[in-house]
Amino acid sequence: MVRFLIRSFASTVVTMLLVSMVLFFLVDVGGGDVTVKILGIQATPEQRESLHKQLGLDQSTITRYATWLIGNDWWVPVEYPIISVTNAKTGENEYWADVNGQPTRWAMEDGELFAFQHQADDSTVKELAGDVWQKDGEQEIFWGLNNANSAVKWVRGSGVSVFIRTAAGIREVKDGPTQYIPLSKGMLRGDLGRSMQTRRPVAVTLWPRVRNTAILAFAAFLLIMPLALFLGIIAGISEGRPIDRFISVTSLAATATPEFVSGIFLILVLGIWLKLVPPVAVFLTDDAIFQNPEMLILPLLTLTLIEVGYIARMTRASMVEVMGTAYIRTAVIKGMPFSRVVIRHAIRNALMAPITVIMLHVNWLVGGLVVVEAIFGYPGLGNYIYDAAIFGDFSAVLAAAMITVIIAVVTRLLGDLAYTFLNPRIRYS
Amino acid sequence: MKKRKNGLHPAIWDMQSSLRKGNMNRRDFMRFATLLGASAATATIMSACGGDTAAPSGSEGASSTGSEATESGATGSIKRGGSWTSAMELQAIDHPARLSWTQGANIVRQVSEYLTETGADNITRPYLLERWEANDDVTEWTLYLKKGINFNNGQELQADDVMFTIGEWLNEDVGSSMLGLLSYLDGMQSVEKVDDYTIKFHLSAGNIGVPEHLFHYPGIILPRDFGGDFIKQPVGTGPFTLEEYAEGERARFKRREDYWRNGADGKSLPYLDELTYISIDRDASVAAIQGGQVDSLFQPRPSDWQALKDVPGLTVRPVSTAQCYVTRMRVDLEPWTDVRVRNALKMCHDREKILQLAYFGEGDLSIDAHVAPVHPAYCEQPIPKYDPEGAKALLAEAGYPDGLTVTLVTKNDEAEPAIAQALKEMAAPAGFDLQLDITEPGGYWERWADVDLGVTAWSHRPLGTMVLALGYIADEEGVPVPWNETRWVDEEFSTKLREAEATLDVEARRKIFCELETIMQERGPIGNAFWKKMWNITRSNFEGVQSHPTSYDLMTEVWRNDL
Repeated sequence: MVRFLIRSFASTVVTMLLVSMVLFFLVDVGGGDVTVKILGIQATPEQRESLHKQLGLDQSTITRYATWLIGNDWWVPVEYPIISVTNAKTGENEYWADVNGQPTRWAMEDGELFAFQHQADDSTVKELAGDVWQKDGEQEIFWGLNNANSAVKWVRGSGVSVFIRTAAGIREVKDGPTQYIPLSKGMLRGDLGRSMQTRRPVAVTLWPRVRNTAILAFAAFLLIMPLALFLGIIAGISEGRPIDRFISVTSLAATATPEFVSGIFLILVLGIWLKLVPPVAVFLTDDAIFQNPEMLILPLLTLTLIEVGYIARMTRASMVEVMGTAYIRTAVIKGMPFSRVVIRHAIRNALMAPITVIMLHVNWLVGGLVVVEAIFGYPGLGNYIYDAAIFGDFSAVLAAAMITVIIAVVTRLLGDLAYTFLNPRIRYS
Repeated sequence: MKKRKNGLHPAIWDMQSSLRKGNMNRRDFMRFATLLGASAATATIMSACGGDTAAPSGSEGASSTGSEATESGATGSIKRGGSWTSAMELQAIDHPARLSWTQGANIVRQVSEYLTETGADNITRPYLLERWEANDDVTEWTLYLKKGINFNNGQELQADDVMFTIGEWLNEDVGSSMLGLLSYLDGMQSVEKVDDYTIKFHLSAGNIGVPEHLFHYPGIILPRDFGGDFIKQPVGTGPFTLEEYAEGERARFKRREDYWRNGADGKSLPYLDELTYISIDRDASVAAIQGGQVDSLFQPRPSDWQALKDVPGLTVRPVSTAQCYVTRMRVDLEPWTDVRVRNALKMCHDREKILQLAYFGEGDLSIDAHVAPVHPAYCEQPIPKYDPEGAKALLAEAGYPDGLTVTLVTKNDEAEPAIAQALKEMAAPAGFDLQLDITEPGGYWERWADVDLGVTAWSHRPLGTMVLALGYIADEEGVPVPWNETRWVDEEFSTKLREAEATLDVEARRKIFCELETIMQERGPIGNAFWKKMWNITRSNFEGVQSHPTSYDLMTEVWRNDL
C-alpha cells in the first residue's frame, strides 16, 4: 500500500511537470502578442516592445519556465539578497533588496540613481544611491530592484532612451533600465505568478473560481452518481422489460441533447416562464453562492441531464453482462434471494466500468464546464482557463491547469482504491 | 466682425434668423446655441422666438425620447434609495485618459466627470463648466469652471486639476485618443490657466467641436495628484464612489453623500444608493434581465433586442446613432489601391437587404461616407443602388475581367458575421470571391488596422467632423493618424474638412459636407450600409433612464419607482 502511494505520488509529480512544460510551450508559441491585449489597439510598436521587455518576455522560454517553476529571486544577478515584504496597505507581496539589513529599491531620475529605503510603516525614504556602479567592460552598470518587483539593469550615462512603464502610462525616459527580470518565487514555493490580464496575483482571482467550481462539481457529483448508478442497476436487472426500455430511451435522449440546448430550455421554462428559480448565476458578491444557493439549481439540472444518461447506460451494460455470467445463474438456481444476489454478488463486479467513467468525469466537472458556465454566467474554473488561454495569460493558464492535473491524479487514485475495494483480486500492482 | 449683443456669440443671432427662415430646425439651433455658450434656457427661449411654425419638425427623431423621460421624472414623486444592477463586460482599467472601450468609461464616469456633457438629445451642455465662450473665428475658447465642486477626497476642483488632466491627454506617452481629437492644440503651450477657475484654449485652427471633444469618453477630469491607476486611486467629482473592481467579475459603487448636484427634491443627488456591474456572458445576461437578476444590460445586440422587446416588465428605449459597420479597404495595399476596385465593392452593397439580414431592419440606410443623418451638418444624398453589373464592368476596366479573390476579415461580435455573409453573396455576381475570416473580437482588434479588407465597427460621435478627423486624415508629417485604418489621405478632402471644422454656420457647413460626402463616395475607402439603432433596455421600475447614442450609463438622476 505504501509503495503504491509512493508510486502514485511520483507519477503525479512527473505528470504535472510534463503538463506544465507542454502547456508553457504551447501558450508561448500559440498565445499571440499579449502586449497588444494589455496596451490596447492604439499602442505604438515601441511601447509594445518596451512592455514586452518589462514582462521579461525577451528571456528564453527555458529561463522563463525555470522562473515559473522554481523562482528566480535567488539567482538573478543582483548582488544583495532579495527579501519579500507584504505591504500592509495593499496586502500584496513586494520584493526588496536587503542592503545591510535595510530593504531597498532603486529608481533613476534625471540621470541620477536614487535608493528608496523601506520603513516599518510601508513608507519609503529617498536618497541618492551613491557609488554603486560596477565596471562592465566600457560601461558602468548596476543591477537593482525597481518598484514593479523586477530586477533591472541600469547602464550609467548610456544616453540610450528607453520606454518605461510608469503608473501614469508609458513614458520615454533617458537612462532607464536596459533589462528587466520580473521576480517570482516559483510555483514550487507557492507563488502562482501574476496575471497579465488583471495585473493582480493569479491566486487572488483563481481561488474564488476554484471554490465556485468545487461547489458545483461536488453538488453535481452527489446528485448525479447515486442517481445514475441506481437507474443503471434497475435497468440492468430488468433487461428487456418496460422499465429498462423507459430508462434507456430517456437517458439516451437526455444525453444526446447538448447542454447548450437543455440549459437554455431549462432557463426559458423554469427561470423565465415559470419563474421558479433564478435563470442564471449572478454573483453580486464573492459569497453570493452561499446567500443564494438556489442559483445552483439550473446548472445542476443541466449537468444531471447530460451526465446521468451516460453513466446509467454504462452501468446498465455492465450489469447486464454480469447478470448473464455463470456464477450469478448458479446463485439464483441454488435459491439465494434475488436481492441478495444483486447486492452482494452482481453490483460489486458490475461497478468496475462505471467507476472508471465516473472518475474521468470528475475531472471534466472541475475543469471542463466551459459551456455550462457560459450559459449560466457561472464564474468557474472552466471559463477562467478559457479566457486566460485566449488572452495568452500563461501564468493563469498554468496555475489553473496544475489544479486540474492534481484533481485528475487524485481522482485516479481514488478510482484505484475503489477497484481494490470492489475486487480484492486487484492488488496494488 | 459683428458686435456682441447681450454677450452672446454673434453667430447665435445669425442662426436665430435662419431658424426663423426655416433653414434650420429647432434641434440644430439648440445644439449650436448651447455649443457657443448660450445657456440651454436662453436657447430654448430664443428658439421659441424663432417660431415653431417655421421649424421643420420631422427630424426630431427617437433621440429626444430620453430627455423627455428625464423631464417627466422630475415631477414630484421621486423616491430615493435602492440599487441598480447591470450586465457589462469588465476589462482591466488603468489610466482613464487611455480608455479605449465604452465599458471602461461607464465604470469611470460613475466616479468621475467631464467638463461638458452631450445629452441623449445630442445637445452638448456645460457640466463641470459653468459656461464656455468662443471668439468669433472659434480659435480661442475660454472655459469657466463651476465653483465649489469637490472631489470625493475633499479637495476642490480647480484649474490646476484640469490643467493636469489636459497635460495627460496631450502627453504622447500616455497614449490617449484625446491627443488626436485635440490636434488643434499645440501641446500645453496652447492651454492657458487664466485663474483658479478659468482656462483658455488657443487653437491653431478654428474648431467648433471643442465642447463635444471634452465629452469624448477618455476626457475624464482627474485630480492633480493622480498617479496613473484609477482602480487604486478612484478619485473624482462624480456621484458614486468605487467600492470594488474585479476584472471579469464585478464592480460595485456606493452613493456619495456630498455630491455637488441637487435633485428635483432639493437634496443632493444621486437618487440610487448602489450600482453594481457584473461581468457575465451576453446570453446569460439576456436570461438574467428576464429573471430580474439584473436591471439592465450593456449595449443590447439586435438579437437581444429581438428577444427582449416584447417582454413585460422591460422598457425598451430606442435611439438613432452614428454607429456603423464600415467595409473598409486599405488603399495602400493591392488590389484596393485602385479606386475602381474599391468602388466596385461599394456597389455590391444591397443596403436594404444588409440592414434586414444583419440588423432586423432597425437602422437608417447610409451612403458610402462616414457621416450620419443624426450629425447636424449631414447633407442628404441619394442612397446608392445595388449594382453588380456596374461593379463587374468596373472590375473589368481595372484589369480583373475574371473577377478576383479577396479575404474579408471581421469579428463574430454583433452584426458583423451577417454583414460579411451577405456581402459575400452580393459581391459574387460582380466577380468578387470573398473569403471570410471571422475571428473572436480580440483577434480582430489585434489586427484591425493591418488587414487589407475588413468590417470594422465604429462608435457614435456627436459631430461629423469628429469622426472624419479621427479616421480619414494624416498628421502634419503626412503619416495617417493612428485610427486611419484605411491609410486613405486625400488632400482636397483634408482641406475641406479643416474648413468645415472652422465653419460655424450650419448651412454653410452643410454645403462643405455635401462636398466631403461626395469625395468620400467617389474615391473614399469605405462602404457603409446602414447606421445602427441602439436600445437601452432597463426594467420598467426605473425612471429617468436615458438612452444615450453611445451607450453611456448616465445614472445620476435615475430612480426606482417601486420602493
